[in-house]
Amino acid sequence: MVIEYPFSRTTGPVIGAFLTGLREGVVVGIKGSDGRVLMPPTEYDPVTSESLNEMVEVGQTGQVTTWSWTEGRRYQPLDGRPFAWALIKLDGADTAMLHAVDVASPDQMSIGMRVRIRWRAEREGHIRDIECFEPEVGAS
Amino acid sequence: MAGSRKQRAAIVGIGQTKHMSTRGDVSIAGLIREAALRALEDAEMTWADIDAVVIGKAPDFFEGVMMPELFLADALGCAGKPMLRVHTAGSVGGSTSIVAASLVQAGIHERVLTVAFEKQSESEAMWALSMPMPFAPPTHAGAGGYFAPHIRSYMRRSGAPDHIGVLVALKDRLNALKNPYAHLHEEDVTFEKIADSVMLWDPIRYSETCPSSDGACAMVITNEAGASRGSLPPAWIHGAAMRSEPTMFAGRDVVSPRGSRECAADVFSQAGIVARRREIDVVEMYVPFSWYEPMWLESLGFADEGKGWTMVEDGSTQMDGDLPVNPSGGVLSTNPIGASGMLRFAEAAMQVRGQAGEHQIDGARTALGHAYGGGAQFFAMWVVGADKPA
Repeated sequence: MVIEYPFSRTTGPVIGAFLTGLREGVVVGIKGSDGRVLMPPTEYDPVTSESLNEMVEVGQTGQVTTWSWTEGRRYQPLDGRPFAWALIKLDGADTAMLHAVDVASPDQMSIGMRVRIRWRAEREGHIRDIECFEPEVGAS
Repeated sequence: MAGSRKQRAAIVGIGQTKHMSTRGDVSIAGLIREAALRALEDAEMTWADIDAVVIGKAPDFFEGVMMPELFLADALGCAGKPMLRVHTAGSVGGSTSIVAASLVQAGIHERVLTVAFEKQSESEAMWALSMPMPFAPPTHAGAGGYFAPHIRSYMRRSGAPDHIGVLVALKDRLNALKNPYAHLHEEDVTFEKIADSVMLWDPIRYSETCPSSDGACAMVITNEAGASRGSLPPAWIHGAAMRSEPTMFAGRDVVSPRGSRECAADVFSQAGIVARRREIDVVEMYVPFSWYEPMWLESLGFADEGKGWTMVEDGSTQMDGDLPVNPSGGVLSTNPIGASGMLRFAEAAMQVRGQAGEHQIDGARTALGHAYGGGAQFFAMWVVGADKPA
């Protein structure tokens, strides 16, 4: 018998659309009142507090705006291997999201480096449907 | 400042969601936003009119989001404004209202938005409330398990007959039919159905307990200058009080805690009320288990000790009685825990503003909003009136 204390989450129309997109292998942000594309999307405008509803698909490649090396642990991305936590601004987005970058050592990380999404094969509408980011092949 | 006094404060906007088991269409942010927008609309204001936001909810464990207020600023239009979180367990909706009012009464802000919520569908509050008591074997599950012995103690002391709890539940469920926002609308409820419902925590039957609800409530509180702006009359705050005491100590009276009695004495004194039962027109009281109505009637001084149950039996607390209690249907019909206390405070204000619709008590001019929380150890009360306080 498994005794558990489960939580569930109602995501609402905006975060729900973002997570559904991940399941489909698509990344969506949302357009703010000042024209910026916010990614991940927010339900309410950070400037005016008005409801936002103009979803925008963004790219699956982007650049690292800052990063920090970490020794891997169980239950973290890449299941125990060392990796970099990074803020990544996807092409077409004006804000950055936090995710893992899979490289062998911190020597391979730099601000401004190009990365792309590595999707999981089995996706369920979760931020970890993006397994991690990896250096964009062919990028300098 | 010697000689200074509290500024007058009034409720000028009230909003709530339609309460239900699961609001699967909105996030927590969307839920509180809905109540807040309705309060702003009622106050004929926009986000820009608000100086500060005071938010309350019951323990974070109920949804499993630690300090949810940290991500709710955008949803409540308060980016760049002060935002305060209040927590006093089940009484939090009441104490949140009082903290919001105090910011106006102190002259710090002119217009404050206050919001309280719970989204019980995101977890299981009954088990969240089944924590072990220090130095005691785990003997209870849920709040009902904790309060059942207190109710049994009241029954023994007062000699109240067993059916009193059923009468309270029947009254509140029938009142809820007149409240479009209430969670439970049991069109076919009868005395027999409640009396025959399963015994959960002796002497509390299933139908004598509150439901688990998703819901939010919001109010706009202003100073005197703002009180005449809207089209509806304001509800003036005549008194507001809070008390707390430890969960357990030797000699504590769990049936009528000292904190409850002293909080009542304070709030009625502030409001200049002497003959409590005669001068209060309607009460919105925190009754999550039916028996708490007669218990609080006594603790609040509306009935002599041991006689609260006779007010239930003779119909005094019905809609057409001399002291209607919970015309909204109360916590027994709607329980988004963190919002439940604010709903009591807001419903009291709705009564004196004459905006309670089908559950309006004709001619209500003075009302008590009441909330309690924790192990019956946190108390929050306010008296609101149609007349401007002297």
